[in-house]
Amino acid sequence: MFEYPSILLSLITLPLLGIFVVLLIPQNNPNLVKTVSLWTSLITFFISLVLWLQFDLSTPKYQFVEHFFSVPYVNMNVFIGVDGISLFFVLLTTFLIPLCLLASWDSIKINIKEYNIAFLFMGSLLICVFTVLDVLFFYIFFEAILIPMFLVVGIWGSRERKIRASYQFFIYTLVGSVLMLLAILTMYAQTGTTDVQVLSTITFSTDLQMFFWLAFFASLAVKVPMVPVHLWLPEAHSEAPTAGSVILAGILLKMGGYGFLRFSIPMFPDASIYFTPLVYTLSAIAVMYASLTTLRQVDIKRLIAYSSVAHMGFVTIGMFTMNIQGIEGSLLLMLSHGIVSSALFLCVGVIYDRHKTRIINYYSGLTVTMPLYSIIFLFFILANMGLPGTSSFVCEFMILAATFKSNIFITVLAATGGVFGAAYSLWLYNRAAFGNIRLSYIDNFQDLDRREFFVFLPCVILTLIMGIYPEVFLNVMHSSVQHLVEQIQ
Amino acid sequence: MNFFNFFENDFIVVLPELFITTAIIFLLSYGVIYSTSSSYNYPILSVNVSWLSFFVLFIAFLLCIGNFLSSMVIFNNLLIVDPFTTFTKAIILLSSMLCILISLNYMEYNKINTFEYTLLILLSVLGMLLLVSSYDLLSLYLGVELMSLSFYILAAYKRNSEFSGEAGLKYFILGAFSSGLLLFGSSMLYGFTGMTNFEDIAKLLVGLGAMSDTVSYSGIVIGILFVSIALLFKVAAAPFHMWSPDVYEGAPTPITAFFSSVPKIALLALYIRLYFYTFFDFITLWQELFLTCAILSMVWGSIAALAQKRVKRLMAYSGIVNIGYMLLGVASGTITSIVGLLVYLVIYVIMTLGFFSFMLGMQNYKTTSLNVYLTDLTNIGKTNSTVALAVSLILFSMIGLPPLAGFFGKMYLFLAVMNSELYAAAILGVLSSVVAAFYYIRIIKLMYFESSKTFTLYKPMDAANSYVLGISLFLLIIFFVSSDALLFSCHRIGLLLSL
Repeated sequence: MFEYPSILLSLITLPLLGIFVVLLIPQNNPNLVKTVSLWTSLITFFISLVLWLQFDLSTPKYQFVEHFFSVPYVNMNVFIGVDGISLFFVLLTTFLIPLCLLASWDSIKINIKEYNIAFLFMGSLLICVFTVLDVLFFYIFFEAILIPMFLVVGIWGSRERKIRASYQFFIYTLVGSVLMLLAILTMYAQTGTTDVQVLSTITFSTDLQMFFWLAFFASLAVKVPMVPVHLWLPEAHSEAPTAGSVILAGILLKMGGYGFLRFSIPMFPDASIYFTPLVYTLSAIAVMYASLTTLRQVDIKRLIAYSSVAHMGFVTIGMFTMNIQGIEGSLLLMLSHGIVSSALFLCVGVIYDRHKTRIINYYSGLTVTMPLYSIIFLFFILANMGLPGTSSFVCEFMILAATFKSNIFITVLAATGGVFGAAYSLWLYNRAAFGNIRLSYIDNFQDLDRREFFVFLPCVILTLIMGIYPEVFLNVMHSSVQHLVEQIQ
Repeated sequence: MNFFNFFENDFIVVLPELFITTAIIFLLSYGVIYSTSSSYNYPILSVNVSWLSFFVLFIAFLLCIGNFLSSMVIFNNLLIVDPFTTFTKAIILLSSMLCILISLNYMEYNKINTFEYTLLILLSVLGMLLLVSSYDLLSLYLGVELMSLSFYILAAYKRNSEFSGEAGLKYFILGAFSSGLLLFGSSMLYGFTGMTNFEDIAKLLVGLGAMSDTVSYSGIVIGILFVSIALLFKVAAAPFHMWSPDVYEGAPTPITAFFSSVPKIALLALYIRLYFYTFFDFITLWQELFLTCAILSMVWGSIAALAQKRVKRLMAYSGIVNIGYMLLGVASGTITSIVGLLVYLVIYVIMTLGFFSFMLGMQNYKTTSLNVYLTDLTNIGKTNSTVALAVSLILFSMIGLPPLAGFFGKMYLFLAVMNSELYAAAILGVLSSVVAAFYYIRIIKLMYFESSKTFTLYKPMDAANSYVLGISLFLLIIFFVSSDALLFSCHRIGLLLSL
């Protein structure tokens, strides 16, 4: 078969190249900046599709493995590669970055150059996070994203509360992850390596596993986010610019889930099984509590943010069932959530751009003024609550079915959360789209323009494909997930 | 046998020190004669002498790295020169050169017209070089004193400022007190062992730990404790840190930059020599002491910094936190921790000098004064966006965010700490680094996120400061890609030191 020797490396370096080109463009030519960065991200996306085409479905091994970096002093050779678990995260990243750039085409008016650079840089770092096969370097890139994201929320955020939001985002993440760093350093001190492929062949003693698992949990749970440490999420989501929320909900949250699947479960299996009840409890609380909290939000973005917490609760439940169905379900749910909730944030962005408010009370009768928008908004609202035929239904069904085998009580709780999900989603749509037009608030209006329509279109198509024929995505995961489950047992 | 034959190689080995001494004498006479000459209209020589001192330091640096004798004990066992001292001396000389560079602009606008300013810096550098290579309690004391005495004068250099006078006085009183402690500790050690040489003491202490009930044992313990406490005073570690915020605040800003970077290298080098070699067999004793001080410095430094309103006081507390990390490295007591310490020191100095070059470079257009309060930094993100970006990256590096060098400094340090299984201290350390992150990002927040109605107009940054800022930023970013040379040389030094 034809070999593509450095396809992952080009995915990482291409955005950096784009940054370099953007840096050379003078400040007074914002359109060129936008065009260059959009094309860079689009080319990255098309190259990343080659990964999927060339992906070998039959093996759980890492593919496209390349040497990435070496630190001779600590005897570290870092490789990058993808397997069935990480492939779609890479694709999701490259898919969402151009959408983000397109979505903020007109709404960002200050520091356009820096904004585009920040997003391209985040794209590159995220691909590093999902492909690097080394715990320490995973940590490095995981943390490095804080820098651009902190600035994106703080500089281009919408209101005065953005400062508080960016602080919370920064500090919450940092507190968790420094503990993970200590665990990684201890791991290195014990074994002399931080390579994932080597570490997965090593069995740690139970005490160490407990310590490592808890330290990793402290960091990953903040990112997922699990319930007691989820408070940064609604803040950061509601204050970030639209594209920032998309990146946050679409990909940054998935780093937590990815970390669990890549590190916690395969490397500390005993501890994972030991702590499963903890994860179940926290996730069930997340599903129930977040869904109920969602009902009384007045800010649409906060509402969607809380619904993200609920969905990520589903993800962690599915992951810790530790069987193939559950893990595949949670992987697929992460993908589906990455697209659906990103699209919902984009929906909010559309009306925010026009009317400069996100408070639900001010909206009413959008179906009359923006019919096309209302259809798309309805589609994603239905997808968010898990209507059959959309992506979320498949994954939630898989997760519930898998959980049913191990813990019926949790299944009942999670399923109830699904009902609440329908409640808040429909109620939101009901309030915003139906009813009379409030002419006192809305005096001029405009439906989706072409740019916005083409931002939504790929999301709609993907959601439908994932809902109707999920096997396209699942068959990539099968062998890797099976290998993972075998590792645990 | 005449004198010079006896010390034949010794003079070659101490060439950098000799050169600096001679240069000081020449520059002093040059300054005295030329600046008082009425026929030349009493020229102001401060910038001129600064440039000359800069080149003196540069030549001393060349002499230092050109040292071909790899390891040697000289002058009747008073001084030692080995790869470790060469390395630290090189860093000291380089960072003092940068310190002189960033103070040029300040001298011009704040009318520091006396040329003795840089000569005092040269004198203190000489003291530090002697301190680094001291191999005897006597030469240690003399080095510390030469360094500190110059510092007292430098702290009080802004004669017409009350704060500066206060700083000098406070520094002098507490410095003299700690020097007294150092002398007392040394005399205890001398009294109970009969020797002052590091090597002799190290040899004597081997196995003495077993005889813990003898009188001489407790005498030595008291001696080590006093010496340690005196040295903790000098680096401003937590229970002994009271002088540092006031001194940092009162001293002229370039001198603050100098205080917060260069002496730390010299003193930490001394720590490594003293505790990893001479007192190593009493590790159970000093490890606890250093752990306590490290934890107190990290926790107290990061909490107290939250309440600061002035940039220089903030940097003083940030220095205390950083000393806390370094003491944690000292307390872990392995070769890995020597590497961690040296790497951390280098990165810390780079970050500090970068930050201070920003502080010294941002001059108000009208008043030519520098920023004093944190709130003065508001809007820099809008008025001077490139500078703001550079400083934000430096601050992110101080927080310890990954692709920047600050993270790797912390990483290698904590790797050593984890190797020595000091888990509780490590957890406290990283948690206090999160608290510390709070006040560093406060500066970034002020520069970028907050907007006030008054926009300060700044002068374009002068060449020297912008070069230093650029160099520092470049080094912080490039460390991720190529850190091997530094790491391997530190490792080699650590190995040679513990042979």
